[in-house]
Amino acid sequence: MSSSIKEFLSKEKPEGYYKKLVNELSEANKQLGAFLNINETIKNGFPFSAKDNLCVRDVETKAGSEILAGYIPPFNATCVERLSNNKFSFLGKTSMDEFGFGSFGLNTTCVAKNPFDTAYVAGGSSSGAAVATSILKYHAALAESTGGSISNPAAFCGVVGFTPTYGAISRYGLVDYANSLDKIGIMARSAEDVRTVFDIVKGPDSYDSTCVDMKFTNINNKKIFLIKQLLDATDEKVRSEFDKLVSKIREMGYSVEEKSLEFIEKAIPAYYIISMAEASTNLAKYNGYKYGFKNENFSEEYNRFFTESRSKFGVEAKRRVVLGTFVRSASVKEKYYRKALKVRSLLIREIGELLKNGFILTPTMPITTPKIEKAVSLTPVESYRMDVLTIPPSICGFPHVSFPYSYPNGMPLGAQIISNHFNDYALLDFVNSWETSFRYKFKYNIGDIR
Amino acid sequence: MDANEFDRLLKVCRISLSHDEKGRIINDIEEIIKYFNTLNEFETGNTSESYHAIRIPERLRQDKVEAFQNINGILKNTKTYRFYVVGPKI
Repeated sequence: MSSSIKEFLSKEKPEGYYKKLVNELSEANKQLGAFLNINETIKNGFPFSAKDNLCVRDVETKAGSEILAGYIPPFNATCVERLSNNKFSFLGKTSMDEFGFGSFGLNTTCVAKNPFDTAYVAGGSSSGAAVATSILKYHAALAESTGGSISNPAAFCGVVGFTPTYGAISRYGLVDYANSLDKIGIMARSAEDVRTVFDIVKGPDSYDSTCVDMKFTNINNKKIFLIKQLLDATDEKVRSEFDKLVSKIREMGYSVEEKSLEFIEKAIPAYYIISMAEASTNLAKYNGYKYGFKNENFSEEYNRFFTESRSKFGVEAKRRVVLGTFVRSASVKEKYYRKALKVRSLLIREIGELLKNGFILTPTMPITTPKIEKAVSLTPVESYRMDVLTIPPSICGFPHVSFPYSYPNGMPLGAQIISNHFNDYALLDFVNSWETSFRYKFKYNIGDIR
Repeated sequence: MDANEFDRLLKVCRISLSHDEKGRIINDIEEIIKYFNTLNEFETGNTSESYHAIRIPERLRQDKVEAFQNINGILKNTKTYRFYVVGPKI
C-alpha cells in the first residue's frame, strides 16, 4: 500500500479545499460526535487529530472529563509538536471516555457513534480518533492506549490502530491515566501511513524520562501463535470469522501453532489493579483550583473544598479512584498491588518467550460490535472482561496492531497482531503485506480530492 | 468491604457520593474486589515486581537550577492575585 500522506502532500489541492473539508466534517460530526472541536483555520498540511487527553496549545483539553472543563494548555504535547513541525496540521480534538476509563466510548458527555451504523458503539477509549480515521480520506489520528484503547475502537470502526512498545513515543503533554501503562499510538487507514507518522513522533524526549532511545528490530519468523485461553474467551461468531483469517494467513506462508499459557487469565485483574492504583494517584491533582473546573468557594473548609470540587468526576472515575486507593492501602497492598506487579513480571516472561519465535494473532475484541443500548447495560466486571484480548500485550508493553479483516453484516471486525518489545516495524510490515490482498471498506471519504 | 471501610476510603479520596450513587458503587466494588481476589488463587513466590514493562535506563537531569520560561502560561489556568495562585484557605 502506498502512503496517502505522501500522495496528499504531493498533490495540488483545489481552491477552497480546507474550507470544504471543515464544512463537510462539521456536518458529519453533528451525527457522529467524533470531534470535540474542529480547527476552522486549517489552511495547509496533512490533517491530524489529537485525542482529548493530548495537550494542544491554546485548545481546550479535557481528557473527556468535566473536571477539566476550561483547561487551556499553554504548550503542545511532544507528539503534537513534532507533527506540527513536519507538514502536518492540527484538525481537532477527538472524543474519548473520561480519562480513558472505558471500553465503549460511553463514559463521557460527548459520545462518538460508529460510522458504519450509529446505533452501535465506536469502541473506547479512543472512540473519536477511530471514527475520525474511518470518515476522513486524508487524516491520521494521535490516540492513546492504556489497556487496549487504540486496538478496540480501531477494530469496531474498521481502521488500523497501532500501539507501539511502551516508551517509544514521549508521553509529555498526555493527561495521565496510568503512567506505567499509557502509550501514545497512531490510527490511520493503512500501515504505511501509520509508519510515516511513527517515524516522526517516536524517539527520546528530555521531558519524558520513560521515553527511551530504542534500537528497533524487524524480525519476522513467518510463525504465528494462537493462544488457547484467548480463543476460548471469544464468542462463536467472531471465532468463525477469525478461523477464516487464520486460513488466509497460512496461505501467506505463515506456519500457525496453538499454545496454552499458564498466567494469561490473570492479566485482566492484574491490569485493573495496577491501572486503578496509578489512576487514583494521578487524579489526586484535580482539586478545583489548578486545572480546569474552578471552585471559587475559597472560604470553604479545606477538605470540603476539595471534596466538592471532585464531585465533577463521572461515576466510573469515582469508582476507580476509590478502588485504586483501596488496593494501595497498607493492609492489603501486598495482596493486590504488589501481587499484580509480580503477575506482570510473569506475563512478560511467559509471553515474551513465545514472541521470540513468532507473532501472536488474536481477534481484537471477543464480541462483534455491540449496540449502544447493550453496552450501557453491562456491569463493570462484564465491561472489564471485554478487554481480555487487548490487555495481555498492553500490560506487558508489547507492540500490537489491530487491522480490519472482515465485514460480517456490514460491520468491520479487527484482528490483533502482537510482537516482542522493539519489533514494531515487523508488525507494520505484516499489516502492510495483508493490505496488498485485502481492501478496507469505509462509509465516508470526507476530504477526498477528485 | 464494610460500610465503615467504604466511608473511610471516600474520605481519603475526597469523593462524595449521593445516596443512590453510594448504593450502586459499593455493590460494584464488592463484585470487582471479588474478581481481583482471583489473583490470590496462585503463588507468585519470589518473582520480582515489574514497575515498568521495559527496562528504563536512569536518565535523571543534572541537579542544576534552570529558569522556567512559561510562568504566564501556568498562571493562565488559575485564579490569580498579583503573581500568586489563589487557593482554598488552610
